[in-house]
Amino acid sequence: MLKLIGAGMTLAACGSIGVTWARVYEKRPQQLVAIEGALQLLETEILYGATPLPEAMAQVAAKCDPEMAGLFRNTALELRKMAGITAGEAWEAAVRDFFPGTALNKQDLQILKRFGAPLGASDKEDQAKHIELTKSQLKLAAQQAESQCRKHALVYKYLGFLGGLLLVLILY
Amino acid sequence: MAGGAGNNEKCGKKGESLVCMVSRDILPILPNRIRELLTELPGEIFNQIEEIRLRQGQPLLLGLTKNDTMVTALGQPTSVPEFGYTVTEQDVMRTVQLVSSSSVYAFEEEIKNGFITIRGGHRVGISGKTIVEKGRVKTIKYITGLNVRVAREVIGSADRVMPFMIDPVFKEVQHTLVISPPRCGKTTLLRDIIRQLSTGIPKLDFKGCSVGVVDERSEIAGCFKGLPQKDVGIRTDVLDGCPKAEGMMMLIRAMGPQVVATDEIGRVEDAAALEEALNAGIKVLTTAHGADRDEISQRPVFKYIIEQGVFERLVILGRSRGVGTIEDILDFQSGKSLMR
Repeated sequence: MLKLIGAGMTLAACGSIGVTWARVYEKRPQQLVAIEGALQLLETEILYGATPLPEAMAQVAAKCDPEMAGLFRNTALELRKMAGITAGEAWEAAVRDFFPGTALNKQDLQILKRFGAPLGASDKEDQAKHIELTKSQLKLAAQQAESQCRKHALVYKYLGFLGGLLLVLILY
Repeated sequence: MAGGAGNNEKCGKKGESLVCMVSRDILPILPNRIRELLTELPGEIFNQIEEIRLRQGQPLLLGLTKNDTMVTALGQPTSVPEFGYTVTEQDVMRTVQLVSSSSVYAFEEEIKNGFITIRGGHRVGISGKTIVEKGRVKTIKYITGLNVRVAREVIGSADRVMPFMIDPVFKEVQHTLVISPPRCGKTTLLRDIIRQLSTGIPKLDFKGCSVGVVDERSEIAGCFKGLPQKDVGIRTDVLDGCPKAEGMMMLIRAMGPQVVATDEIGRVEDAAALEEALNAGIKVLTTAHGADRDEISQRPVFKYIIEQGVFERLVILGRSRGVGTIEDILDFQSGKSLMR
């Protein structure tokens, strides 16, 4: 009886590990799309509102997908401190803090980091071009992530359960 | 003694010291390295800062009350360029970003005009490579020079002028022109005159009247996001960044001012707008570059205005006893001095 409970628990544990791994794959495209949407909001603020970045970032944080809001909220907070840092640096710090809690990978991190450098440092047209570029990169990454998700998510889920089953068979 | 923030108990109150003002308004828009240099400065130097000039590849220069000084890498004043801290491209770029709160795109119009007004009403002048489109400046692309000008507010600087500006019997404001060479405190005086006219002067039994200010270069009221950062009185409406001639008409039409005030009249349209104000029965208060009555009466615009017999008072500023010395107050038409 005890053995049976143990086997059940092992199976459940391994299965959930598989599901967790799969979720990372499922989350990544969602998060990339969320950031892309947030950048769209930022572009509108800059292009049509000419809103200064600290306010624009706070606005975006309030309106965008709550999961990604932290990134923009942190940038706004850093900028409002007036601690002598540029928008690029504030953004980079926010990305650094925010990244570990996300499902994004190194390649996505690079896109986000590159976005920071020219942020707020040029006229509207230039900023809009720059945001468009980042958006298209994010879109591409999201498509890749989507196809990877389709391939890997199910595999990881099965792998978890089957691994658990194997462990149970060996130990039984 | 270091001149930095936080060591003065009077900060944030009316009549606070210059140290407070510079620490609160100016230091946050400078890169950390330059902030540190300035806070290391001896207090008596920090106290005199009127301008901070950042020119790429040149030593950091501070414009003081009487002269200017460079600053060593350790934050000590020096007059030897080689010892001075050299402003880097990074410094200039970073300052531009900080001045614009990292949003250069939000200040396109201001950059076109060559300056940005920051919180506290101080102005940051910009120079560099201009991009011209259809004969007008579109933007300044490579910004290489910045001049941070501390806007001083000297409450009471117009005290000696006010008795001559208000008719003792009818309590009427006189049409007044203030002239002075550059950097003698013209705008500071004008601002205090506006404040006193607007708020009222109990000593002269003057109740105060509504004043319309056309502040084309954001110098008089030092508006930040449209809100005056300097005390310009309780009955004052400000059109910030507005061309003088157009602004005067707008104010006359919409705000019903009893006095219209503007800085540095000089173009022909300005004279026409002044005439319009006069026809509407509005009192005019303005300034011009110039040393004395003869000099300005040769300029075409003033020649016309003088012929029309518009102005009643002429206030002449100089720096014979320091910046903002009131050298003379004349009855405009007769040219007689009223002070002696």
